[in-house]
Amino acid sequence: MSFWKKFNDMDRRWVYLMVAVTVIIPFLIPMKFPVSVSPEARNFFNAVDSLPDSSVVMLVFDYYPSTIAECEPMAIAGAYHLFKKHCKIITLSNIPYGGPSMAESVTRRIAAELGKEYGKDFVNLGYKYGYVSVLKGMGVSIESIFPTDNRGTPLSELPLMNTVKNYEQVKFVFEIADNATADYWVSIVNAGYGVPMGVGCTAVMAPKFYAFYGAGQIVGLLGGMKGAAEYEILLEKPGTAFRGMDIQSLVHFLIIGLVIMGNIGYFVTKRGKRKTL
Amino acid sequence: MSGIEILQIWIIAFFTLALFSFLYKDNPFYKLAENIFAGLTAGYQVGLIWDTIIIQKMWDPMVSGDKWWMFIPGILGLLMFSRFFSKYSWISRIPLAVVMGVTSGVFLTTQLHGLVLPQMQSTMLALWGNQDFVASLLAVVTIVGVISTLVYFYFSAEHTGILGGTAKVGIWFIMISFGAHFGYTVMGRVSLLIGRVQFLIEDWLGSFRHIF
Amino acid sequence: MTVAFFLNEKTPYVGDTSNVLLDWLIIIGGFTLLLGVVSILRVSAQAIQRKKEGWPFKIATIASVLVMAIPSLLPVSWSPLFGRFEGSIYDWVFVNLQAPMMATMFATLAFYIASAAFRAFRARTAEATLLLLTATIVMFWRVPIGEAFLNLFPGDLPYFINKFIMNGANLAVQRGIIIGAALGAAALSLRIILGIERTYMGRG
Repeated sequence: MSFWKKFNDMDRRWVYLMVAVTVIIPFLIPMKFPVSVSPEARNFFNAVDSLPDSSVVMLVFDYYPSTIAECEPMAIAGAYHLFKKHCKIITLSNIPYGGPSMAESVTRRIAAELGKEYGKDFVNLGYKYGYVSVLKGMGVSIESIFPTDNRGTPLSELPLMNTVKNYEQVKFVFEIADNATADYWVSIVNAGYGVPMGVGCTAVMAPKFYAFYGAGQIVGLLGGMKGAAEYEILLEKPGTAFRGMDIQSLVHFLIIGLVIMGNIGYFVTKRGKRKTL
Repeated sequence: MSGIEILQIWIIAFFTLALFSFLYKDNPFYKLAENIFAGLTAGYQVGLIWDTIIIQKMWDPMVSGDKWWMFIPGILGLLMFSRFFSKYSWISRIPLAVVMGVTSGVFLTTQLHGLVLPQMQSTMLALWGNQDFVASLLAVVTIVGVISTLVYFYFSAEHTGILGGTAKVGIWFIMISFGAHFGYTVMGRVSLLIGRVQFLIEDWLGSFRHIF
Repeated sequence: MTVAFFLNEKTPYVGDTSNVLLDWLIIIGGFTLLLGVVSILRVSAQAIQRKKEGWPFKIATIASVLVMAIPSLLPVSWSPLFGRFEGSIYDWVFVNLQAPMMATMFATLAFYIASAAFRAFRARTAEATLLLLTATIVMFWRVPIGEAFLNLFPGDLPYFINKFIMNGANLAVQRGIIIGAALGAAALSLRIILGIERTYMGRG
């Protein structure tokens, strides 16, 4: 009896240590478990894959640096897929903390790898405050909201933006988000202007987006690191998300084990208390 | 790896470990990192707002002559700072009212048109005559789930009788959804930890090879 | 803004006015963000002046604000270290200090959630048991070894979980919550427009 009481009353720092050790082990012993692909991720991939070449796509970086581990693999996979299909990418962000910087870093890196040219094949519009104004305003004119790109170059000097005035020329929105701005893309842009979109979001937000997926408001859904890993598998380019799934597996088993042991301890100590009473 | 790159990695590692040290106990390294982080976050806004809003959205259109009236929202924005003076803080209600008015006007239509109608439309499902039994079963689950959830969150009437029974069903559905949500949340939090540990092991410990 | 929703955006006067108001919202909102900066400087300065507990750390706070803010305001033409872009102090500090620290702050949540799950996640009632079981099943399903473990059982459990739990019960509840919250937001917007709701101004 006293073992279970001691176990349940264990200092929480021992739990922290267990989590830390479980996260470190797969770095020393890589396991490479196979990752299956969900229908939501497959539909997302197929929707992007079926876009005509040279389609204009908005790749939206609506995530904070805090969720870079989950969202950046999606952004990298998305940018790679879109560039491979010769799509023209317009990136923007509704997140003030580093959204434009992350967009620059991802797109320029992939563009350099695939020989794409800034201004002609991709443009980074940067950030403007007030996502409601930004999303509604771009429906009339992108230039009215973003008179220049992220570096201050007027849009009229960028060949890509001479052909894109508003959502009418945008064929798809690839939204990557860790907050509620994704809801507004769905309710304002998809519902108001009929632009098809797919959402890559953090695992915390993913359960909510099943409702939008089920309603057909989004064509596909990438939920968390697993969603990113699934997209990497479909792209045949396993990256950081795929490698992270080993660690996810072990930590999940640890937490499930702790919950089960905690409940066993709870019921055993509860029965012990009833017996003494 | 150059000396500058190694220095960068070590600085990042110092602050990462300083923040993680809170897991053991609160300490001066953690407090230092926390306060620096708060200051950097605030300071980041200044350059961003100056460049993207004050210069690009306000100053340049005014100076070019296209939108000379852009000084008006600038003045309204400055009125927000009256909040720091208790005698004049009422003035900040003016720009606040503009913001609330515009946002409310947009939300009134987009929430109904963009969220309520499409979600309700996709809930109006056929209960039979579907392609297979699974589709019909799923339709029943969806309709019962949506209605019972909405009833559960309806607090204007007491949950007794039929309303109470439906709310009880709603609780069961909500428990399943929140359970799924918890599972996903665990996954999300662990992913963020993986990112940091990846940096510490691959980049920071990897830099030791270049130093020694 | 509400009337403009029902009219073509190119409609004279109404269409233009709604676009102008959206621009104003961006500018006023930008100044609102600066309020936070002024506020943190004020609070930190007061803490230093009054020698409150932990006041030396407030010096670090103010220094951090200035290190980020001042170089970003100076023109790039003076030096490549100024401005906001790659190669500037602003960009270097963001990439090497702020972003990693933000990521680390959130990474610590993994430890807290493990500890919270161990200490508080108890099957005390039937509803709590259902929540616990669903969470366990979903945690298995979302990882490769877990999915392989579920495949050991008869029937296609991963398919069942995706179809009936995520796209079934979970979808229904989330849909109910979205509808309820959206109706509430629309009702609140109407109340604000009609002047019934004035709490945002600081009075009832």
